[in-house]
Amino acid sequence: MDVPAAPCRGHEDSSSAGDVVRVPERILKREQARLEDAERRKEVKERHSVAEENSDFFTKTFSRDRAAIDQLIDTCSGTDRASATRTLEEATAKTQLLQKFLNDSMKFLAQYDLRQAQASLQKLQTSLTEKRDEVLPKKKFAFRSRTKAKEEVAEAAAPPQSEETVVDAVTPAGVRFDETVYTKQCGFSHQEAAVLTKTAEELLKQDVLLSHLTDCKVRLLGAPSTLHIKHVRGCEILCGPVSSSVFVDHCRDSTLVVPCQQLRTHNTTATQVYLHVTSRPIIEDCSGVSFAPFTWSYPTLDRDFEVSGLDRTRNNWTQVDDFNWLSASTPSPNWTVVPEGDRRTTWDLNEAHEI
Amino acid sequence: MGLLTILKKMKHKEREMRLLMLGLDNAGKTTILKKFNGEDVSTISPTLGFNIKTLEHRGFKLNIWDVGGQKSLRSYWRNYFESTDGLVWVVDSADRLRLDDCKRELSVLLLEERLAGATLLVFANKQDLPGALSKEAIQEAMGLDDIKTHHWCIMGCSAVTGENLLSGVDWLLDDIAARVFTAD
Ligand SMILES: Nc1nc2c(ncn2[C@@H]2O[C@H](COP(=O)(O)OP(=O)(O)OP(=O)(O)O)[C@@H](O)[C@H]2O)c(=O)[nH]1
Ligand SMILES: [Mg+2]
Repeated sequence: MDVPAAPCRGHEDSSSAGDVVRVPERILKREQARLEDAERRKEVKERHSVAEENSDFFTKTFSRDRAAIDQLIDTCSGTDRASATRTLEEATAKTQLLQKFLNDSMKFLAQYDLRQAQASLQKLQTSLTEKRDEVLPKKKFAFRSRTKAKEEVAEAAAPPQSEETVVDAVTPAGVRFDETVYTKQCGFSHQEAAVLTKTAEELLKQDVLLSHLTDCKVRLLGAPSTLHIKHVRGCEILCGPVSSSVFVDHCRDSTLVVPCQQLRTHNTTATQVYLHVTSRPIIEDCSGVSFAPFTWSYPTLDRDFEVSGLDRTRNNWTQVDDFNWLSASTPSPNWTVVPEGDRRTTWDLNEAHEI
Repeated sequence: MGLLTILKKMKHKEREMRLLMLGLDNAGKTTILKKFNGEDVSTISPTLGFNIKTLEHRGFKLNIWDVGGQKSLRSYWRNYFESTDGLVWVVDSADRLRLDDCKRELSVLLLEERLAGATLLVFANKQDLPGALSKEAIQEAMGLDDIKTHHWCIMGCSAVTGENLLSGVDWLLDDIAARVFTAD
């Protein structure tokens, strides 16, 4: 068994829920076939290894294939939809193969080469997505404004400053879902210097999305199921108890205040998190994130805690796992605790605050 | 090595199946595993590494591997492919924004030759949430109908209520068993 070298905090236990049956012969035969198969594959691999397992070969092949995909994407234009679809499908398939090639080469690549390759694959994915949006609009999730949404989703009018984002769920292959799949995504997006609030009724059990906000103050006074915070800058976001997870991605110079079951933070810098969390919070690709215990209160907080099912007596806000820092002996440099004297205690909307 | 030797060697081995549970981070893999095993699901942390559980069900010994789905861990998934009988792919049905990612990761897995013989069960999890997409919608969005290389099935489920977890695993066991027996 091949067990990874780095993240190996594995956990094993057993339990019994029925009687064990002796192995019939066919299972044994199959097991044998499986072992022989594995052996054979290993031999084949070893034979190839001399030629293939060197990073020179990898680098050359990888950049050649990448260039070919780049070119496919470049040449694709929206004039002929059918041919654009074909080209993009080909590019997608080639990208997948390239990902697989990278996966297969992982064990002999230097950390640096690996990161480089992963980064360029990521770039390829992005340009593929952008190209698809450009030449085959509406092929992906498209955000449309409230006015357009009104035509299709009969809904009570939203409060003036609240904006609903409609997620137009379409399969990547371009097949549109039927009308029932059209759903309002609860949340706010593309706002600047605004005060944005939502009530308990609007939030209850919802998957809430806050995206592309700059210098906003957000107050979510209720208990959603999940909270996604994406691409925010200079914001102050306070939210009631979230029954499952809070996702943070590409957030900077902000303050987040929230109780939740899980906190999953990505690509975030210079951000303070006032947190109540019942499991271990995590950070991935972050720096300068600091944590403090949750201190906000609002009139229906107790009730919302109950609705969320979160245990109020269990707060693991200091038990942060950094997925990019696997050393157990030295602490991660990517997060800190906000010193007690520097912690904010009031969250009044009217109060001006310098962070 | 002759069959007799093998038989002797393996006499005490039990009917064993290896199930590998994968999916994007936050899909609910660990919650499914714990719920299936009757454990508390309210204190689960994002998985840094993996969990293995061995449990017995319908006379089978199931080794269930649950590997963390955070981005930085996905490149390690491959370390767990060998000898997998069943692949359980877990989808967060409420996470519309990442369905595309989810589809892409699955299609890369299905190209993997070491998973070529595995049966695929897709769990459209979190059906208890009002905003969850139906299993039909997930099936379409993920292009499951295009999968010709593996036996597959999609089931809507909820790790929180436990709905359909058992039916899913039962389908998987039946399919693996049928495949193995008819192969002889
Ligand atoms: N409402 C609801 N929430 C769920 C369900 N399954 C899981 N969750 C929640 O979703 C969050 C993520 O669950 P996990 O089991 O940690 O997800 P995972 O797939 O193991 O994630 P990684 O370990 O990062 O790969 C937790 O807050 C769970 O409580 C479900 O069926 N319904
Ligand atoms: Mg997990």
